[in-house]
Amino acid sequence: MSGHHISSAKFLWGVGISLFILTFLTVAVTWIQIPEPWNVVVAIAIAVVKALIVAAFFMNLYWDSKFNIMLFVMSIVFFALLIGITLLDTMYRTDPVPTF
Amino acid sequence: MSEPSVAEENKSHILHHFVDSDQQFEASKMGMWVFLVTEILFFGGLFAAYIVYRAWYPDLYLQASEELDTFWGAVNTAVLIGSSLTVAMAIRSAQLNQIKGLIINLYITIGLAFTFMVIKYFEYAYKFEKGILPGSYYSYDGIAHEKANIFFSIYYMMTGLHGIHVLIGIGLMIWLVFKAKKNVLHSGYYTPVEITGLYWHLVDVIWIFLFPLLYLID
Repeated sequence: MSGHHISSAKFLWGVGISLFILTFLTVAVTWIQIPEPWNVVVAIAIAVVKALIVAAFFMNLYWDSKFNIMLFVMSIVFFALLIGITLLDTMYRTDPVPTF
Repeated sequence: MSEPSVAEENKSHILHHFVDSDQQFEASKMGMWVFLVTEILFFGGLFAAYIVYRAWYPDLYLQASEELDTFWGAVNTAVLIGSSLTVAMAIRSAQLNQIKGLIINLYITIGLAFTFMVIKYFEYAYKFEKGILPGSYYSYDGIAHEKANIFFSIYYMMTGLHGIHVLIGIGLMIWLVFKAKKNVLHSGYYTPVEITGLYWHLVDVIWIFLFPLLYLID
């Protein structure tokens, strides 16, 4: 069983500080005006990195059983499916529903 | 506490249908991960609404997010990350049988969670005053876009549902403090701390996405 990983205090602080730095970074990139599609890409990319750091080292997925990792990955897969199939409809309507 | 009572306590938490403490711990943790999957998909529906409307009305998002204060959004992000750190420290304290440290870390986490809610309260109050309310209650005319109320409906639904999760988290951590004070928790049984920690980190992860998506659309 791999469920009792104990992180050192130093390590946890390191993870916390890296998250603070990434938060500052995601605000700082809005000061330099990145052109249209790329500002969103950069913001999401930083958020994904932060989320993966939290999941791996705070939620201990890095040391956890493969089954729990699979559960987490499957939730992302099904979320992508939800977004993908919804957009296949909404992006290709000849005229969007007028009242919405 | 004397030695024999510790040994007794180390077994007292095991339910009869589990082989040992580790199996019970792993089962609880897996159950929590299944719940977190449903939480991700619960918020996923709202993120889907956000994405669909952003694809339909990109200008609306650019204009409406001007009304959100990036500074306080960033402060709240830092507050939640700090609270995730203290929860991780609380779990570490429990694993090392440092019950005093566990309680202190839980108190700091509860304090940070309240800080988050107070900041959110002032953000909401400021918008309510201007007439920025969700849906048909929207009466603010500072944004030149006919669908302005839609952005704020999405904003209130996402941050509101997230806020409810923060409040539930506060309740859970107060419960943990009571449990810790009754000496129920120790290095052999800290499952409730671990499980609540997982929940709290997920609440943090959701805010990590809400912050850039709502506040940082220059």
